[in-house]
Amino acid sequence: MSDFVLVDQVDKSFPLAGGKEYLALKGIDLKIKKGEYISLIGHSGCGKSTLLNMIAGLDLPTGGIVTVDGLVVKQPGPDRMVVFQNYSLLPWKTVRENVMLAVDVVMTEKSKQERKEMAEHYINIVGLSGSIDKLPNEISGGMRQRVAIARALVIQPKLLLLDEPFGVLDALTRGNLQEQLTRICEENEVSALMVTHDVDEAVLMSDRVVMMTNGPGSKIGGILEVDIPRPRKRMEAVKHPSYYQLRSEIIYFLNQQKQVKKMRARKVAVVPRHGLEKVNLEVGFVPLTACAPIAIAKEKGFFAKHGLDEVNLMRESSWRGISDGMTGGYLDAAQMPSGMPLWITLGGAGNQSVPIVSALTMTRNGNAITLDKKFYDQGIRTLADFKQMLQQTRDRQHRLGVVHPSSMHNLLLRYWLASAGIDPDIDVKLKMIPPAQMVVDLKAGTIDGFCVGEPWNLRAAMEGIGFTIATDLEIWQGHPGKVLGVREDWANAYPNTHIALVKALLEACQYCADLSNAEEIRQILARREYIGTSASYIQLGDPNQATCSLDKPMREYAHHLFYGDGVNRPSRTEHLWHMVQMARWGDVPFPRNWVEVLEKTCRVSTFSTAARELGMSELTYARGPIQLFDGSTFNADDPLSYLNNLEIKRDFTMAEIALDSHRIAA
Amino acid sequence: MTVSSPGRNTTFRGSSAFWKKVNKDFLPPLIAIFAFLGIWQMLSSSGITLLPGPASLITDERTRELLMYPFYDRGGIDKGMFWQTWASLQRVAISYTLAAAVGIAVGILVGTSPMISKALDPLFLFLRTVPPLAWVPISLAALNKNEPAALFVIFITAVWPILINTAVGVKQIPQDYNNVAKVLKVPRNMYFFNILLPSALPYIFTGLRVAISLAWLAIIAAEIVMSGIVGIGFFIWEAYQNNYISEVILALVWIGAVGLLLDRLMAWLQSVIVPE
Repeated sequence: MSDFVLVDQVDKSFPLAGGKEYLALKGIDLKIKKGEYISLIGHSGCGKSTLLNMIAGLDLPTGGIVTVDGLVVKQPGPDRMVVFQNYSLLPWKTVRENVMLAVDVVMTEKSKQERKEMAEHYINIVGLSGSIDKLPNEISGGMRQRVAIARALVIQPKLLLLDEPFGVLDALTRGNLQEQLTRICEENEVSALMVTHDVDEAVLMSDRVVMMTNGPGSKIGGILEVDIPRPRKRMEAVKHPSYYQLRSEIIYFLNQQKQVKKMRARKVAVVPRHGLEKVNLEVGFVPLTACAPIAIAKEKGFFAKHGLDEVNLMRESSWRGISDGMTGGYLDAAQMPSGMPLWITLGGAGNQSVPIVSALTMTRNGNAITLDKKFYDQGIRTLADFKQMLQQTRDRQHRLGVVHPSSMHNLLLRYWLASAGIDPDIDVKLKMIPPAQMVVDLKAGTIDGFCVGEPWNLRAAMEGIGFTIATDLEIWQGHPGKVLGVREDWANAYPNTHIALVKALLEACQYCADLSNAEEIRQILARREYIGTSASYIQLGDPNQATCSLDKPMREYAHHLFYGDGVNRPSRTEHLWHMVQMARWGDVPFPRNWVEVLEKTCRVSTFSTAARELGMSELTYARGPIQLFDGSTFNADDPLSYLNNLEIKRDFTMAEIALDSHRIAA
Repeated sequence: MTVSSPGRNTTFRGSSAFWKKVNKDFLPPLIAIFAFLGIWQMLSSSGITLLPGPASLITDERTRELLMYPFYDRGGIDKGMFWQTWASLQRVAISYTLAAAVGIAVGILVGTSPMISKALDPLFLFLRTVPPLAWVPISLAALNKNEPAALFVIFITAVWPILINTAVGVKQIPQDYNNVAKVLKVPRNMYFFNILLPSALPYIFTGLRVAISLAWLAIIAAEIVMSGIVGIGFFIWEAYQNNYISEVILALVWIGAVGLLLDRLMAWLQSVIVPE
């Protein structure tokens, strides 16, 4: 179906005192299909209402065009009826007269009697027949808003524009009105665009939620499809598996916007000291056992030892936060899933490529695949059993949680499933969920399993809600887990700081690998500012000795490798494996200039310098070819033919990635 | 018995409430008025001022006659107080109606068109500051006759508050109402009667109320200067010329009372037409 409303590259600026201009909206592209219900959400002053007014024709764009039904919007008209925030009823007219005014003006071809009946009909629909002859100030706010909705619906607009229609109503009235309005829109096939502040309202009512970034120059930051079936009942919709995911996605976005605003307000000065270009660093991490090197570097003074005495750790709840922090420029460095440097470099985080480099692999292993306990009770022990179960229960969708498209969890899980002939996008559905939320979702039954780093697998097993069907020891022993990532322009601007950072973390890795420190590290990680969980869920053992305190069928937990021969040195072969796998699943294009991209991303030289200065030169030994559980060996010389020979894959694209170092204004 | 006793109670409480209200609302102003009159009387009888005291309204024979017989008519300008006031009121009625019509019409024009507003604003600001009395010679020179000159002075005094308040009222139609009109594409004539007029009405009435007081002020000023006409203004002037000061005081009482009545009348009209 063709697009009903088309907002094409719309800019809007307002003149300011002193001849300057305030750019409110920049490059807005939005399409609304017929019968679609769209919500606009964003912080105050982000230009939501301005966009709405431009579609209404009450305001005109300063750049770009808005078309409705193929016609350019130049002035307001009754085909795009607006429900205003403050009702805008005429106080000297009764409910009936207010509605009649609209009918009389718009429905001129109808007879007086017909018009009267129409007005009464719509007043009846919104349940106000009893107050039809009352003045607006004799009825409650909720009733007034219903009159405004009746007045909008009675003229049968093609598009309904609602500006925070329920903003000032109490919760109970709001809930009722939301359901009524949704129902009326569905029945009359009215397209609607609603500006709102309320996350639940947006998810409950819309087909799509458009999230706007903060001004000046607000853009559309993201569009979410709400896949909850209609008709929606509030109590049923909140139980839908997507509901909380969408909700947390929107809340995450809004929080992110707030943070960006804060970062913009607080312009951080670069503090050079001790011969380093910058010693005040914001380092991001996600609460996982694998964050141990970063936590230890801070707690045991390795950062300070290498001159980085103003390191501030930023705890992000999801990998999304890390990638936004890096591309947004408010993190100096971060713990990243091993695929993320390439993922961001290849444009996975947005259309624009932001080159990221990695000079240190901080952990290996530490991941596992956990399935719901009910599958264990059904006798599922192996991947083959799982596949059989999937084939027998085609009628229902099985959902598995992963943390990020670029994380090893996603790639391993997909690889593992595909090796058994299970298509990870067709036979099951993979959902992005922050690590700390996995166990909760598994308990609630919104997912059937997950692949995530410790301690969450162990915790699910210990709480008796899941069991570990496979650890990475069985899929790819010694795979890279988390790496250190910084922006390329940052690495070029602060080369000595980068080396110091690698040195501090490398020493921390060494400290973590020493089993005699395990107890201390567990206590540190269990603290609120790091993982914030009971220390009993955090296991740090000898990675070479698969001893396990769990009962036999639960399998052993995945040991982390923090330090050792070939553990920490960034490997081009491994990064290439990620590049191939991410292209395989269609997350990012495969770069034609892949050799060049790898050369840039993998900062072996920085690692080598750091290791040499620490007297750890022996660490620079290269690793052998990658061995996976299915017996295949990854050929680093010809990734394209490897990719082409894979059976289960998406249509992947090739692209040239321009690598002239982008400079981000700090 | 059980039925009648609450009823009696209510009447009793009702009458006591009535007296409470009288005590609270009417007693203070009454005391103030009597104190004022008392001091005035004391001052004039002690000879500090030559102004006759309030008692002279009754003690002075001419004044008593005027007070007792407001409706006498001996022809010419020798008429009772009622007829004098009535003549002035008629002038006010004519000019005020004219001022209201012109003021509201031009006010709406100025309010709806920013261009006209910009063009006329300085002129209006300048003209409205001219005091009513200053218009008298000009209008006499321009119109040559007493009667139309008096009418003009009243008109020119009363028109400004109506015009300016109407313009403000129209300019201050809430954007919400205008947006509704824009989105619905309400035709001009419907917009005028359904949105513009009802929305500006409170402002227009404020202007009308201010204007009626000003018109009544202006009539006195106009008539004082224009000799030989029936009217309360000229009555004052003539009494002063003949040194009948107590008559002047009597006329003042009439003027005050009529002014108050006119204002109340407009307030009542406003409450009927523009319900809160």
